[in-house]
Amino acid sequence: MSYLKSSILSKWVMAVTGIVLVGFLIGHTVGNMQLFIGSDTFNTYAAFLQGLGELLWVVRITLIVCVLLHIFTSIKLKLDNYAARPIKYQYKSYLKAKLTSRNMIWTGIMILAFVVYHLLHFTVGTAHPDYYNHYESVVNEKSAVAIDTQGEQIPPTFKTITQDGKTYVIQEEVKSAKTRHNTYKMVVTSFRNPIISICYIIGVILLAFHLTHAIQSAFQTLGLNHPRYFGYITAGSNLLSILIAVCLISIPVSILTGIVGGAI
Amino acid sequence: MILDAKIPAGPLAEKWDKHKFEMKLVNPANRRKYKIIVVGTGLAGGAAAASLAEQGYNVEAFTYNDSSRRAHSIAAQGGINAAKNYPNDGDSIYRLFYDTIKGGDFRAREANVYRLAQVSNNIIDQCVAQGVPFAREYGGLLDNRSFGGAQVSRTFYARGQTGQQLLLGAYSALCRQVGLGTVKMHTRKELEDIVIINDQCRGIITRDLVSGKIESHSADVVILATGGYGNVFYLSTNALACNVTATYKAYKKGAGFANPCFTQIHPTCIPVAGDHQSKLTLMSESLRNDGRIWVPKSRDDKRPPNQIPEEERDYYLERKYPSFGNLSPRDISSRAAKEACDDGRGVAASGYGVYLDFADAIKRLGKDKIEERYGNLFEMYERITNDDPYTTPMMIYPASHYTMGGIWVDYNLMSTIKGLYVGGEANFSDHGANRLGASALMQGLSDGYFVLPSTIPHYLASNGPFEKVDTSHPEFKKAEGEVQDKMNKIMSIKGTKTPSQLHKELGNVMWEYCGMARNEAGLKKALELIPQIREEFWKNVNVPGESNDLNVALERASRTADFLEFAEVMVYDALERDESCGSHFRTEHQYPDGEAMRNDEEYAHVAVWEHNGVGKKPIRHKEELNYENVKFAVRSYK
Amino acid sequence: MKLTLMIWRQECCKKDGKMEKYFLDNVEEEMSFLEMLDVLNERLILEGKDPIAFDHDCREGICGACSLVINGVPHGHHKGTTTCQLHMRKFKDGDTIYVEPFRNKAFPVIKDLVVDRTAYDRIMNSGGFVSINTGNPKDANSLPISKINADLAMDAAACIGCGACASSCPNGSAMLFVAAKVSQFALLPQGQPERTKRALAMVRTMDEEGFGNCTNMYECEAACPKNISVRFIARLNREYIRARLSEEKKI
Repeated sequence: MSYLKSSILSKWVMAVTGIVLVGFLIGHTVGNMQLFIGSDTFNTYAAFLQGLGELLWVVRITLIVCVLLHIFTSIKLKLDNYAARPIKYQYKSYLKAKLTSRNMIWTGIMILAFVVYHLLHFTVGTAHPDYYNHYESVVNEKSAVAIDTQGEQIPPTFKTITQDGKTYVIQEEVKSAKTRHNTYKMVVTSFRNPIISICYIIGVILLAFHLTHAIQSAFQTLGLNHPRYFGYITAGSNLLSILIAVCLISIPVSILTGIVGGAI
Repeated sequence: MILDAKIPAGPLAEKWDKHKFEMKLVNPANRRKYKIIVVGTGLAGGAAAASLAEQGYNVEAFTYNDSSRRAHSIAAQGGINAAKNYPNDGDSIYRLFYDTIKGGDFRAREANVYRLAQVSNNIIDQCVAQGVPFAREYGGLLDNRSFGGAQVSRTFYARGQTGQQLLLGAYSALCRQVGLGTVKMHTRKELEDIVIINDQCRGIITRDLVSGKIESHSADVVILATGGYGNVFYLSTNALACNVTATYKAYKKGAGFANPCFTQIHPTCIPVAGDHQSKLTLMSESLRNDGRIWVPKSRDDKRPPNQIPEEERDYYLERKYPSFGNLSPRDISSRAAKEACDDGRGVAASGYGVYLDFADAIKRLGKDKIEERYGNLFEMYERITNDDPYTTPMMIYPASHYTMGGIWVDYNLMSTIKGLYVGGEANFSDHGANRLGASALMQGLSDGYFVLPSTIPHYLASNGPFEKVDTSHPEFKKAEGEVQDKMNKIMSIKGTKTPSQLHKELGNVMWEYCGMARNEAGLKKALELIPQIREEFWKNVNVPGESNDLNVALERASRTADFLEFAEVMVYDALERDESCGSHFRTEHQYPDGEAMRNDEEYAHVAVWEHNGVGKKPIRHKEELNYENVKFAVRSYK
Repeated sequence: MKLTLMIWRQECCKKDGKMEKYFLDNVEEEMSFLEMLDVLNERLILEGKDPIAFDHDCREGICGACSLVINGVPHGHHKGTTTCQLHMRKFKDGDTIYVEPFRNKAFPVIKDLVVDRTAYDRIMNSGGFVSINTGNPKDANSLPISKINADLAMDAAACIGCGACASSCPNGSAMLFVAAKVSQFALLPQGQPERTKRALAMVRTMDEEGFGNCTNMYECEAACPKNISVRFIARLNREYIRARLSEEKKI
């Protein structure tokens, strides 16, 4: 933890962990967009993530370490900054520092609270067990036999196969099935609750505020500021923040309006 | 008073090198045993303190500012001269030497000026090595520009802030020594007196501007690099706190004060806007390259400048000096502006201003070109006056800017007090009766980097080791007591005038009677008025608060008290120098066309004044100037 | 014009002060902000009261002595202007103006509006120089420097060390000052031998002096009277990491 002695190293830690978290966030958002494809795809995706095993824990631990470092360092920096001006200005106005950039610690803390709730809600499942506990069964293994029709007429609803001039009817049989978490249904039923949706939307908006400053700030901290490109970096930072927010907010909105979820 | 200039024998070009070889040295192991006090941390003081500390001496540096980086050397805009001849336009050490002697109207010492020209090249090398970001050409080499009517391009510059960059160079060298522990820095401490023990300067008395504490500091050598006394005029381009106290106190303790009447008035400053005015801002002389100076022909013409038709304007510089026109030297341009305004044709609210008009240049070159050349100056002008110089002419008026006079020093920069050295604007040595543009930075750094660090070891080696003196010595106690008495006395008056009011009264008298043009009657009048103001000061000044506190009124009062005594010396000098030369223009001595008439027969000397009690006429001594290499010539700019 | 002034008054070497109210008539538009304070001080002196102490010297925008936080912004709201060059025409008749000292732990208030900024000098003492002695360096033109780099170094060197950056920063960070100094030398060949040492030493001193941390709000750039760009902070971030990664022994 000796890096904390240096303000610039601390800033680097903030930037690097921040970038990892933004990377996760992009992946998370893209993954969640599969909700719009349909229940099966989404649940398959969810099951895939769950099925990563040890790899999942590698990712989770990386994220947890980044989050902890990010929070720990930011609190240390904030305390330093607070101490750097023991007597506050009686009258202060700002020329360039924005509401977002001045309040990173507060948006950060609120996002943290939101993330904890979000994890309890969607990952651990203890926040709203009613919405969480949806399962569906999916076929795991099938067997099939081909039965000679012996010239009988077969209704077109049956699957048939023709070989050596003979027609066989295919008879499938489920040998085993298993239940998996119906993540799709969990999301849809959760967001049909307007209070949950509003909390989620607020959380995402706070996140977007945090990101508009954070992303371009990381570039500056890493020393990537060039007069020719920094305009694009700032614009890109805002655009990415808005894009992430719009994507994530589109989920509860489309569920509340009935576009997604249908008859569940 | 013995005035031995100690100029080394031999041919001019070899004097300095020969002298450097002949001077004695101090063994590196012994250097730290010598303590050197440097007062003032501008170009001369900062450079000297750093250079001497590098050699191994034990240095203490003093400034009244909160940091050594704030000295007023920082404000120089234009540049620094050096005889590098990079543009290959015929420059040489001898030419820089000659131009400086001629520019000074043949009132400077040949040997000193030649050394200055010699050393000028080393200064540029030294500054570049320190990382001073001088302007460069695309090829990566240093850029030069021409300045102040010189016929060669020899001025090095760093945008419009050459002074700041050079000062930061010296400051960084000083910071390095402070970091290494070889220089002890004293900030917010103002010199109040010097202490002489056994005919040697052995220390100083300072006042801590925060606690008000009067403190003694002993040393083996004291260097004063405390700048000029332009603020004797109240309004000048000097920083607000610039003062004469250090050099005046040295004078009172026996140092000769040389040529105090040589004060330079700069022609292009922003005019006074009102009674509240606290200082004047200089606009770079370079503006005169493209601006045309004029006033209305008629006295009662109060129309806005753009409505005055061409034939009703008097382009007086172009009229009087057809060949140099708007680029006439500083003293001549300043006097011409004063004449026009005294004639009632001045502009600006006060009537003390002339137009500097860029309309023709904008028509000829286009606004873009003018913006490229002077954009930052125009912006600064607009910020101060709220007038846009692109559409309406600038208004300018001369203002006190630099003082060529100062403590008399010999070739080694030692004053008539043993062990008291004086560098930079505070001494008198190199500019004669008028300083050329871009030479002040050169002289400050020459003294600080090269001259003092060579000559002081010689003094130490020849006179040391010194008898140990500490601050409990009765002379220190006596001086401390005197300073404390002065402060107590000022604090006790509680009259009805502020120190600034009295300073302003003095300034008005000096500007009126001892300013751009002087005459016998006026100077005699000033000699009557100054003691009256001084008397009023000691009866009627009001300084609230305590003396053992940060007391801005007390600082001002203490400085004003010294100006009030010093001003008299200056007027005596102006009165006794019964000729016109350079900046010193006696209206009795002019050619029929209004040019300055020198009297080389009687006045080709340095006038050195010896203190003879406050209110009494000081004693005038002479150091004859022997010109072995240049011949007297009349300056003509027609 | 008439003005109401709310000015911070603090006795010498005491920890606390308070805002005091002053009314001023007859303020002229041509006055600079400091001249307006001069007028007030003249009145206070004549009333036998202690005049307001504030730092100032050259009054032409270059020495960096003047400070003051005017209506919540160091040197006032006008871009690229020091307090001494701020003129009263930027204010309106009847305005209330708040005047406070620069407030940082590293800049303790000495009295009223005067603060101690020697922390900046100590940062400079730790490495803001090229270690060469006065003497006989080689000819200035034997070291060509690209005009682009020389100009960029000059942009950084324009810093007047006033302290507005740290005082405007919501975090009280001095990064812009340190960045300007480190960048000036990092951009020039003269600064190369000490490049690593300088970046490490100056940042360490900055941290030790009790300044806050930069969080890229860019308030410093907006308040800087010399318009120094925060790009130099990015450069310092690079320089510092480069130095940390390449230092061979602890400096």
